[in-house]
Amino acid sequence: MTAASRRRTLPRPRRSGQTPWAALRPALLTIAAIVCLIPIFVVVGLAFRPLTTSSTRGMSLESFAYVLSDTNLLVWLRNSLVATLAATLISVMVAAPAGYVISRGRSRAVSAFSLGIFVVQALPVVIFVIPLFILFSRVQLVDSLVGVTIIYVASSLTVATWMMAAYFDSIPSSLEEAAWIDGCSIFGGFVRIVLRNSLPGVLSTAIYAFLLAWNDYLIALVFLRTDSHFTLPIGLQTFFQQNATDWGPVMASAVVMMTPPIIIFALLNRYFSVGGIGGSLAGQ
Amino acid sequence: MTPRSRGLTMTALAAPALVLMVVVNAYPVVYAASQSLRDGNLLDPGDFVGLQNFTEILSDPLFWRAVRFTLLFTVSGVLGSWAIGYALALAFKQPFRGRGVLKVAFLLPWVVPVVVTSMSWNWLVATAESPLPRLFAAIGLPDVLFLADPTMAVAIVCVFKVWISFPFMFLMMSAAMEGIDPSVYEASTVDGAGRWATLTRMTLPLTAKSTYISWVLMSMFTINDFPTVFLLTGGGPVDATTSLVVLAYRTVFQSFQPGYGVGVAFIMTAALVAISLALFRSIRKVD
Repeated sequence: MTAASRRRTLPRPRRSGQTPWAALRPALLTIAAIVCLIPIFVVVGLAFRPLTTSSTRGMSLESFAYVLSDTNLLVWLRNSLVATLAATLISVMVAAPAGYVISRGRSRAVSAFSLGIFVVQALPVVIFVIPLFILFSRVQLVDSLVGVTIIYVASSLTVATWMMAAYFDSIPSSLEEAAWIDGCSIFGGFVRIVLRNSLPGVLSTAIYAFLLAWNDYLIALVFLRTDSHFTLPIGLQTFFQQNATDWGPVMASAVVMMTPPIIIFALLNRYFSVGGIGGSLAGQ
Repeated sequence: MTPRSRGLTMTALAAPALVLMVVVNAYPVVYAASQSLRDGNLLDPGDFVGLQNFTEILSDPLFWRAVRFTLLFTVSGVLGSWAIGYALALAFKQPFRGRGVLKVAFLLPWVVPVVVTSMSWNWLVATAESPLPRLFAAIGLPDVLFLADPTMAVAIVCVFKVWISFPFMFLMMSAAMEGIDPSVYEASTVDGAGRWATLTRMTLPLTAKSTYISWVLMSMFTINDFPTVFLLTGGGPVDATTSLVVLAYRTVFQSFQPGYGVGVAFIMTAALVAISLALFRSIRKVD
């Protein structure tokens, strides 16, 4: 909406001065995009290349058939989906109320909470890993999808909370205040007024949490120990190390792994907004 | 309603996040801090040795090599991805045919898991038969083994990081540009400002705050980035691409010296917080 109105309000001379560039822009950007995506075309190209044992021309699903029958790919895919979807759901459930507190709270405690959330993001995961490993091994959470899910929720907490807070900032607080006067509780106002009008913010947070959990490597590497508990990144990496020259099957598994996040972005990218995430950070 | 009940509800709303922060972050940090002052292994806490781990770290040449690489990796990763992201955000400011599809295309390097892209980059550059070395040979450049030559490996890892990160900068800078009031541009066109002047005197200053914020965020993401380096080069050749995070990981999980590894991670965090605070000062000046 802003883009369209901006275009209409631009005075004529400026626009005519831009004509050659404006006409060339789609073509130039398409070329740039193609060059930029070469590493991703490579994945798809190698995955559909026939395995060397048969013909060497055209496309083939042999690599896919091979990984489906000879590896645990489907188990890893299921594990990844379970851990990622659970982490996404819980992330939103934790970050939405926390974001509301950051957005509406004005006390010293809220500033401290906000600073704590920033420090959590600054600390590298390597620091947490050993103590968590020891803690989790006492409660049977090592080599378990529940264990990695908990850490995914915690790792997405900072940015997810900032995203929710930034979205809530755009909702006028007069809306809840009106509801409070009508006898609504603070919690009721948050759920029924603010959260109900925050679908884009919730989607944005969910997409971020999904990507973070789906694309994680380090946490799964440390915490998942047996093949049947692997998520895709670890399963794929193990398979790659054992079959490094077998590019077809390796890339076929890679295609399986990159498809869900690409579908999500193709469908939902307009909801994904990172614009506000630093706002609460700069305000401190 | 009373302020007291308001405070209680707000505490309750923050509670799940607080519990998570205490269990997954605060407790482990305290534990790790004590680890960095001991000489234990992964399971046995070991004896208290004071600051011995830290003096050992600071006198280790490998640590200083890692510091140098991490600085290069972070500065080139942050500024490189910002420059490309900013240019793209400018190019996408006005509507044109195919804008939606192209936007998604440019986001893919960030969206596709690094486990996948590190393998395809590996395929593109790793051996003498890979496409990029062959392209180099075809246009008459000397033979280089990209991941075996220390200088080239550093360059490739930095380019890989810029390639992964620029879509995030593209998103942040697009959002910042959308936030500029269009009437500001009308005023400048009336004043006869050319495109270069519009960029340097209007757009850049008006997005300066977002730029600084994006630099803070990307510095945090890049300094703490383990998989990008580890999956492409494993820290080699001859430790040329060993970043501080990779060094910490290796000393903990491969040479089983958690005191040393966690100490490296703490030094890193201290530097990161110092850099962030310096950048925050710049952000406040912009306001």
